[in-house]
Amino acid sequence: MAKHYGMVIQIAKCIGCQACTVACKFQNKVPEGQYRTMSPAVGPIGTYPNVSMHFGKEACQMCQNALCVDVCPTKASHYDENGLVMVDADKCVGCRYCLAACPYDARFINKETGAADKYTFCFEERLSKGLQPACVSTCLGGSLSFGDVNDPNSDVAKILGKSKAEFRLSELGTKPRIYYIYDGVVK
Amino acid sequence: MDIFWGMPAEEHLAWGGLIALYLFLAGISGGAFVTASLTDLFSKKRSAKLIKTGAYIAPVAIILGLGLLVLDLSKPFHFWKLLFYINGNSVMSIGTFIISIFVALAFVYGLLIWAESSSKSAGFGSKLAKFVSRFAALRKPVAMLGTLFAFSTTTYTGFLLAAITANALWSVSFFGLVSVPFLAVLFLVSGLSAGLAATLLGADRSDNVGTYKKIDTVLIVLEIILLAVLYSTVNPLYFSGSMAVLFWVGVVAIGLLLPLILSIYSLYRHSNLLIPVSGMVIIGGLCLRYFIVYSGQLY
Ligand code: SF4
Ligand code: SF4
Repeated sequence: MAKHYGMVIQIAKCIGCQACTVACKFQNKVPEGQYRTMSPAVGPIGTYPNVSMHFGKEACQMCQNALCVDVCPTKASHYDENGLVMVDADKCVGCRYCLAACPYDARFINKETGAADKYTFCFEERLSKGLQPACVSTCLGGSLSFGDVNDPNSDVAKILGKSKAEFRLSELGTKPRIYYIYDGVVK
Repeated sequence: MDIFWGMPAEEHLAWGGLIALYLFLAGISGGAFVTASLTDLFSKKRSAKLIKTGAYIAPVAIILGLGLLVLDLSKPFHFWKLLFYINGNSVMSIGTFIISIFVALAFVYGLLIWAESSSKSAGFGSKLAKFVSRFAALRKPVAMLGTLFAFSTTTYTGFLLAAITANALWSVSFFGLVSVPFLAVLFLVSGLSAGLAATLLGADRSDNVGTYKKIDTVLIVLEIILLAVLYSTVNPLYFSGSMAVLFWVGVVAIGLLLPLILSIYSLYRHSNLLIPVSGMVIIGGLCLRYFIVYSGQLY
């Protein structure tokens, strides 16, 4: 079976340390004040004594049915050979159509290049060299896992076999590659 | 920004005022062209002043709008890539070509209309006008083809926003017709109305503009009905908060109700209220674009 890259996020294990946020900034030299990914707090929700809070990872969801790719006038936003959504900064004219189209608010205009920018699973810098994405390899709580969902021996497949995962805004039919597992979390 | 508490991201709105202004100018340009070309093609009296005004507004407005659009790119010097890298699925990519053709036709039409009246004057202008006049036979075909592209350009501005399917305000369909976006129809009516109003501002006192005024009144009524339908279809939140004043005062009161009342009044009283009515219709059209662009992204 073909490779199907995916990321699994076990929300209950995230301690909100933002090591992923920082690792991504260093790895990808993301300009000051801009982020490809971050893990902001969600909540607190509920009333005392039933109060809860968790951290929700924000990043491009790597849609298989990506609205950003559909609207991009120059095909700067495209699917690569693995079906991952990437931006060719050289072709990008900076029209921001994709920023407006992305339902996850995952994109921004890189202050230095002027091109649309977003989370990439560190494809060029790490994945293509056999390394895990920077955020995954630095994750302290063991909340993030990345790999081939179709390979039964991969971490991601094993976790998905045990727990029920959700996609964000699945009703839009975007078919994301980021799986959120809320086991042990009060939403 | 506070990452930990997830404070709202900077530059939250992808599109701002320049885009709203561009959508407005594209609408006014299409409307002005249609007013001029249809008068040229079908009116027996052929008011020269009116045709001239419309034929000049069209290229100026669309080129101004395109200028703003390019300025709004974060890489303005790369705009030519829009013409070389094409995505048949992208409304913007298709629109680039529709607008480019319209710009060319509007420019040629404007030139032909100008040559018609300028070939008798002296100097370099008259030489150019004489040269252009040799192609006078093209005027009607250009007017016809241009009308088609003027309609397409004005409608395109609605398709552009509607393609963003995740946006609940922009992607509303026209009475459940999935392939017809509501905004395409709304922007078409509003563009025609504003373009007609702008063209009428240049009409001569001697011109009989009664028919045009009646058409504008019909367009205003149509727009009121469309907005009422939109209002009852989408979440009322879009019309509230910081956008409420812009909508109720700018779009509804100044842009629609006042001009409607004044034009009905002037029909009965035979008084000339053309300038205030047209001015308000134009301002209303601008407010409508700002309202849709901002409200769609804010809520
Ligand atoms: S999350 Fe947004 S940027 Fe990422 S693939 Fe989906 S639509 Fe595109
Ligand atoms: S900003 Fe760049 S990547 Fe986004 S739609 Fe425009 S050209 Fe494509």
